Amino acid sequence: MSAALSRVLQADWFGPLAIVIVATLVIGSIEPSFLSSFNIQILLLAVAVNCVIAFSQMIIIAVGQMNLSVGAIGGLAAISFAGMMQVWGLPGPLAALAALAIGAAAGLFNGALIAATGISAFVVTLASLSVFKGINLGITRAQPFYGVPESVKAFGNTTFLGPIPWLVLPAILVVVAIMHLLNRQVLGRHILAVGGNQSAAELSGISVARTVVWTHAISGTLAALAGIMFVARLQLGQPSIGDDWLIPSFAAPVIGGAVLAGGHVSVSGTLLGVVIVAIITQALVIFRIDPFFVQVVLGFLILWAVGINRLREIRVERVLGRI
Amino acid sequence: MTAPVLEARGISKSFPGVRALQDVSMTLGRGSIHALLGENGAGKSTLIKVVTGVHQLDAGTLLLDGNSVHFAGPREAIAAGIAVVHQERNLIPRFSVGENILLERLGDNLLRSVDHGAIHAEAKRWLDVLELDVDSRIPVSRLNVAKMQLVEIAKALSLRSRVLLLDEPTASLTPHETVVLFGLLRKLRDEGVSIVFVSHKLEEVQEICDQVTVLRDGRNACDSRSMAGLGRQDLVRLMIGRSEQIPNWSVRDRTTAEPVLELYGIATSIGHNGIDLTLHRGEILGLYGLIGAGRTELAKSILGIYRITSGEIRIGGQTAHIRSMAEAIHCYRLGYISEDRKQEGLILMHSVLENAGMTVWRKLAGAFGVLTDRTIRARVEPVIRQLDVRTPSLAQTVGNLSGGNQQKISVAKWLAAEVSILIVDEPSVGIDIKTKAYLHGLLRQLADRGTAILLITSDMPEMITLADRIAVMDEYRVKGVIANDRVYEGMSERIMHLIHGQEAA
Repeated sequence: MSAALSRVLQADWFGPLAIVIVATLVIGSIEPSFLSSFNIQILLLAVAVNCVIAFSQMIIIAVGQMNLSVGAIGGLAAISFAGMMQVWGLPGPLAALAALAIGAAAGLFNGALIAATGISAFVVTLASLSVFKGINLGITRAQPFYGVPESVKAFGNTTFLGPIPWLVLPAILVVVAIMHLLNRQVLGRHILAVGGNQSAAELSGISVARTVVWTHAISGTLAALAGIMFVARLQLGQPSIGDDWLIPSFAAPVIGGAVLAGGHVSVSGTLLGVVIVAIITQALVIFRIDPFFVQVVLGFLILWAVGINRLREIRVERVLGRI
Repeated sequence: MTAPVLEARGISKSFPGVRALQDVSMTLGRGSIHALLGENGAGKSTLIKVVTGVHQLDAGTLLLDGNSVHFAGPREAIAAGIAVVHQERNLIPRFSVGENILLERLGDNLLRSVDHGAIHAEAKRWLDVLELDVDSRIPVSRLNVAKMQLVEIAKALSLRSRVLLLDEPTASLTPHETVVLFGLLRKLRDEGVSIVFVSHKLEEVQEICDQVTVLRDGRNACDSRSMAGLGRQDLVRLMIGRSEQIPNWSVRDRTTAEPVLELYGIATSIGHNGIDLTLHRGEILGLYGLIGAGRTELAKSILGIYRITSGEIRIGGQTAHIRSMAEAIHCYRLGYISEDRKQEGLILMHSVLENAGMTVWRKLAGAFGVLTDRTIRARVEPVIRQLDVRTPSLAQTVGNLSGGNQQKISVAKWLAAEVSILIVDEPSVGIDIKTKAYLHGLLRQLADRGTAILLITSDMPEMITLADRIAVMDEYRVKGVIANDRVYEGMSERIMHLIHGQEAA
């Protein structure tokens, strides 16, 4: 019993879940409109899009790297999606597939460069961030594509079963797919092994280069999917989509207990991290606090989460007698 | 003997799962050069770390000038006049020579600007003491390795140390540079500095040291005795001892079995040359040598990690070109147990199941690469049980297990992979005697069942316990291969003879 209890208390999702419940109760009791159907719809919409962004970063954290170009890839895929529908008249699903392919290709580009040159992911994705953003601005001249078909707009703005937005569907698919990938796929195991100890993985017959390339391809695809969902929600192909994804993309996995050095991530924890960020954003709106403060709060939230992880590490190291 | 400067009495130090030092003593006389000898893992570096405040001792006392002292950290030891030059470089490459020498004394006032003139004047003084012709203003990265070594010694001297510990100081020096260094050490000794000299090169020890302490398995094999009257053979005997129990196993000869791994004239990009070796089915071939002899590097070259520039590798009679570890496992059924369990063998933050199953994921995956815990468990559980790994469950984090159990898991993953050739690199570093004996039995059993094992170890008793034949390596070459007759004394002497040349015989 106590062992089971301590396992629950130490699980990555426990802390974030407790925060979600307490925050919901507190905010809901002060301001009952927080739990209104309309507000829940807004929350779900934010969670749906942001969790895809967060997973796009989480998978890279799992392999022990970082992807600064998540937002740039998402933005490029978003304007490509809208542009292909407006300029070439492609039907929505076809344009979406093409945009996903662009995201995958951008990820492959990052991964192949990192694997082939051994340059750090930080530097490679910092440079490719500029490349992808530059292509975006070159195509759009910084002007949005407005010609988004009604069907796509409807997908981004209608609900089913009451307050549940349709955009939640692709998000659920992504959650299931990532859980399956990390727990049940050889590639997923390889990703965590490489993140956990690259040389041990290499010497156990795991190809580090191939794993890194695939991980970035997945990250790019997810970023593209988030871009597509953004277009559906905003109803236009805004060139600035993705500009502000970087901080939240790190915040959610870290709040969810991910080890930034790699090898350990939590899908449920990350999802709860996204929910926490959404609740805080929404609470600031409800309490009429300047929404620009969201950035400040997010920054402190990341520091807090990293601090908790560091405390855990120190405890583990003490047990192992390294300190 | 002159009055002791530094005295270690009855020092014991344990790490989780291993007793590194047990009741070890050493007495340093004023103005003497004291050799600290022992095989790899005998406890030399632990003793140095205890004396210099890096590790805290569990039991025993340190006396400085007869007074009991306690160093909470390296800074306190330095302040007391004890300096150490480690084997690995501790310089900042982009800083100038002068800044490196005076790094600790750039001043505590962080706002005051650095007085480069004064730094270089002071550094020049110490470089002159060493008769080292180096401009103190150039960055350390432009020096060769030998000069870097001397800069480190200059740095240690400039701390006005009374006790200077040198860990393998000649490892990267040419014979001429070594002569210069020795001249300098003698001069320092005559000025009253006490020097501890750690080296594998016995001829150097005999040339320059006047006292010697030998450690074996974390205990004193001799405590601060005079070098006078000690021959090279005596030193070798003290180092390797003969108290070790060699299990009474039969002598094996597998050279008539079919060869499974053959190396013909192998040269590598990192310096091996003309290496010929043959490993037969069911044979344990030992690779003995001192640290830096190129044994691990040879193993990694076979596995495709370093580039082979000429020669031929045959596996099962067929010419093999292994480009990566993945190919080695999946195409040639070749496994490698790393000497560095924590860095290269295990993922400490992951579970027992994940670590032991790492090598078989690809093989066990079903359609679309789907893996289930059940299939991995079915493969891993029998191996974990066979190896008697003490773990509460397969979900236990490997980092929380003892060293012995961790080593069993790094063996387990290759048993799970069912390899036919296994390269085992220093299998018993940092594990307890019981587990060590168990692992020896296991390796012998594997070989009896047909696995060909290439065993790399610097532990002489272990080598003579396990190997059927022993290839002796030195400076990236194979000096000779001898059949193991399991008579400890004769074997160890013949091995040392191959490494140290004629006069050791």
